Amino acid sequence: MIKYHPDDNLLTEYASGGLAIALGVSVCAHLQLCVQCRQRVEQLNKLGAAILSQSQAEAVAQSTFETVIARIEKEQQVVSEQVHVSAPKKLALHPAYQHDPMLANLPKVIAKLLPSNGKLAWQRSSPALKTARLIAGQREYEVAFQRINSGGKVVEHDHNGMEITLVLHGSFSDEDGVYTAGDFLVRNPGEIHRPTATQNQDCLCLSVIEAPVKITGMLGKLINPFLSFKPA
Amino acid sequence: MVSIPTISSDKSQRQDTWSCLLEQVGRVRDQQAFAQLFAHFAPLIKGFCLGNLNANFPADAAEEIVQEVMFKVWQKAPGYDSSKAAASTWIYTVMRNCRIDLMRRNQRQPHSSDGIEIDDIWDESDDEGAFVYLQQASNEALIEQSFTQLPPEQRQVLIQVYMQGKTHQQIASETGLPLGTVKSRVRIGLKKLQTLIVGADKSAEKNWGPRI
Repeated sequence: MIKYHPDDNLLTEYASGGLAIALGVSVCAHLQLCVQCRQRVEQLNKLGAAILSQSQAEAVAQSTFETVIARIEKEQQVVSEQVHVSAPKKLALHPAYQHDPMLANLPKVIAKLLPSNGKLAWQRSSPALKTARLIAGQREYEVAFQRINSGGKVVEHDHNGMEITLVLHGSFSDEDGVYTAGDFLVRNPGEIHRPTATQNQDCLCLSVIEAPVKITGMLGKLINPFLSFKPA
Repeated sequence: MVSIPTISSDKSQRQDTWSCLLEQVGRVRDQQAFAQLFAHFAPLIKGFCLGNLNANFPADAAEEIVQEVMFKVWQKAPGYDSSKAAASTWIYTVMRNCRIDLMRRNQRQPHSSDGIEIDDIWDESDDEGAFVYLQQASNEALIEQSFTQLPPEQRQVLIQVYMQGKTHQQIASETGLPLGTVKSRVRIGLKKLQTLIVGADKSAEKNWGPRI
């Protein structure tokens, strides 16, 4: 039973398309687990449609229509030349993930982020905590898996930036409560906490953290952590 | 606790013109139907995008986005299912995703090595595609009508959020309003909208019968 959800502001930013890619990933993963929030977003999409329908209609150039038709005809030609129309790609999980009970049933948006070579680069952050960076094609946030050993305690910590945690497997607790699969938590700087995984199983979370230091300019591009991170 | 709604047995198809036309485009690749959709939606898309003047989205890009969105509409139409969404809602989401993609390209964001796409991230369906639709919870016409009844400041902030596709933070910095004000206007606006919809819905309930 999911108890913690993204708030209306976050869901609206998602539905209106303003959300940063990495935050979009975390909200999308929650939606793929939570029917209640999916319905909410469906409503918010309808609101988008209402705003679109009430927009001031602006004349569109005839040439734009012609260009679209030309593209369509070109595409149809290509399609009819192909003997087999390719079936929609079904995401095939690498066997290394299929056999890991923690990774076998991830929301599809998260499964898409797994390195296709089957090698997640786990790094030990502390005795109880392992982290693996994920590449989401953006620079503003650090996206990672965090895996806490069953019964493991994570050192008490604070955040420089906002952190979103989505529980994907198992559960953990802190001073404020117990969090199970699907729970979506937002922590702001200054909210110190000390997560502990439950005894019976390891806990896997998706974590999206606002980049602690903003490095700008040429050098920043060279030493950007996302660019230097290369899955083996 | 929210009870999971049962799928209603009468999987009624939508009867509105646009949804019928879009189904036709998807099923039989009907260019005439597509031209009608274009004539209706393309000017609205352009108008929506022109309400969106900002550095990352130059005004002359409006024709470009219209072209891109309408081409995507054609491409994706075979996947359209009128029992799941009205054409206007479906086209709205296609437009939204197109815009995120375009803005992202303008910002020269790095591409992820394994190629996660905007359509993967802005995709609310679950793994089985077994989306439980509460489609009648409030229909588009009701939302549209209720939206016009919102107090101007709430309506305005929601229009900004949607048309400009910006975060609350960006809107706060641009308008000079405190972030908390932007957030609360959005929240209160949505709550009020809900109340208006439920109110309007109650009077319509006699015709529809009680909902679950």
